[in-house]
Amino acid sequence: MTQAVPSKPYLRLRRASRGVVGGWSRIGSQAQFYAKTLASIPDAVINYRTELWRLIAQMGLGSGALAVVGGTVAIVGFLTITTGALVAVQGYNQLASVGFEALTGFASAFFNVRLIVPGTTSVALSATVGAGATAQIGAMRINEEIDALEVIGIRSVTYLASTRVLAGVVVVIPLYCVAVIMAFLAARLGTTAIYGQGSGVYDHYFNTFLNPTDLIWSFFQVVAITVVIMLVHTYYGYNASGGPAGVGEAVGRAVRTSMVIAAIEIAFISLAVYGQSGNFNLAG
Amino acid sequence: MATILGGKPIRALGGFFAMSLDTFVQMFKPPFAWKEYILQSWFVARVSVLPALMLTMPYSVLLVFTFNVLLTEFGASDFSGTGAAIGTVNQIGPIVTVLVVSGAGATAMCADLGARTIRDEIDALRVMGVNPIQALVVPRVLAATTVALALSATVILVGLSGAFFFCVYVQHVSSGAFVAGLTLLTGMPDVIVSLVKATLFGMSAGLIACYKGISVGGGPAGVGNAVNETVVFTFMVLFAINIIVTAVGIQFTVR
Repeated sequence: MTQAVPSKPYLRLRRASRGVVGGWSRIGSQAQFYAKTLASIPDAVINYRTELWRLIAQMGLGSGALAVVGGTVAIVGFLTITTGALVAVQGYNQLASVGFEALTGFASAFFNVRLIVPGTTSVALSATVGAGATAQIGAMRINEEIDALEVIGIRSVTYLASTRVLAGVVVVIPLYCVAVIMAFLAARLGTTAIYGQGSGVYDHYFNTFLNPTDLIWSFFQVVAITVVIMLVHTYYGYNASGGPAGVGEAVGRAVRTSMVIAAIEIAFISLAVYGQSGNFNLAG
Repeated sequence: MATILGGKPIRALGGFFAMSLDTFVQMFKPPFAWKEYILQSWFVARVSVLPALMLTMPYSVLLVFTFNVLLTEFGASDFSGTGAAIGTVNQIGPIVTVLVVSGAGATAMCADLGARTIRDEIDALRVMGVNPIQALVVPRVLAATTVALALSATVILVGLSGAFFFCVYVQHVSSGAFVAGLTLLTGMPDVIVSLVKATLFGMSAGLIACYKGISVGGGPAGVGNAVNETVVFTFMVLFAINIIVTAVGIQFTVR
């Protein structure tokens, strides 16, 4: 005979509060994980240097089937070529419709640096390096390899998460250069070779309005985004559960979250850096 | 056994096109899996709507902000509505839809199908005489297409409202001038091209996710890798489609 347990009072209230409390404690555990990951970066540099080098090589050149299409560098390059060409297509035609097509070079120097390259790079990073990290760590988690690491005395957060955050920041430096060069080249080629604008006109407006300070800020934007993307992706991988499908779902959830957070971060950094004045002088 | 260099990617590409052809043929063959279609549409919509709105807001604010820096310099900030409309309808709307449908919907589809494949459930369906393409792939691809189409309209609306609030209340543009500027350069053809883009994006994201899902191999790590590849390949294909459709569509829209 089973013993009847009286239900607790205020059941509905409890159930409602459990959702709210659960949300808060999830945010808390994420914050804890991120703080721990960032704090153990020096530890990772000192103690797990081999793993760090291995990860840098793997992230730059791609792993598994991704290496077939040329790794992260090729994917980032491809995505920024298409978005750079977009500046040529949309910018040239839209400006031509109001009679200003000479300023396409200016559009490339202005929009590529401030808007398109940080946006595209963040998406590409989240898809390649980030999703790869979630898939790897998630598979390790459900195969109980992370518990095994802990048992043999390896600090798993340092070994898996901190090393990846640092490796991501190292890898993004050449990636950003590839992205900017590809975006500029694609916009220039599209405008001069396909739409037939004189290359002197394009270069004049491009060089006049290319602001080195903007480029440096855009670079720091991308580095900041990388740190956040790698943190989010390692967290979701580290806490994957629910078998093979769970790993896939964790990858999806991580991609979704990191894209939203990266977009918000880009917007806020832009607002903070360029401010009300816009840091831009047309008259020189 | 002699295998040519790069034989594997070519075989994968061939497999993808074979599955896509199968899907298009099976799409018009009864019986159509209505229940699965409605369930999948609901699922994709449920996981995509919130991230799509969260992703649209920052991007449209960023776009309007960058554009207004320029327009204020010209002394033409009354035209900020024009810039917001060009950017949101032509690019941000379809691209955000892509990112979300492939990042949220397609990954979950691939994970689900991949988990079924490595447990041999797909083969079990074949043994029972059920065509997995007809029963599982067709409804998923159609669901992704439908939701992408519906989502892009929502994203454009939300993006424009976000831009409106940012311009009017933060940057102090006159609200009447903003609304009047919206339709200055952006018209019906732009909206149609944008919706066509979103439909194509949704379809290709669904096809890639299903192909990667039913061709998974190698256990749990394989599913994770397949989802990763789904994200990478959909983004690459979608950006490629975007530039082609923009270049073709702009011939009809810009007068």
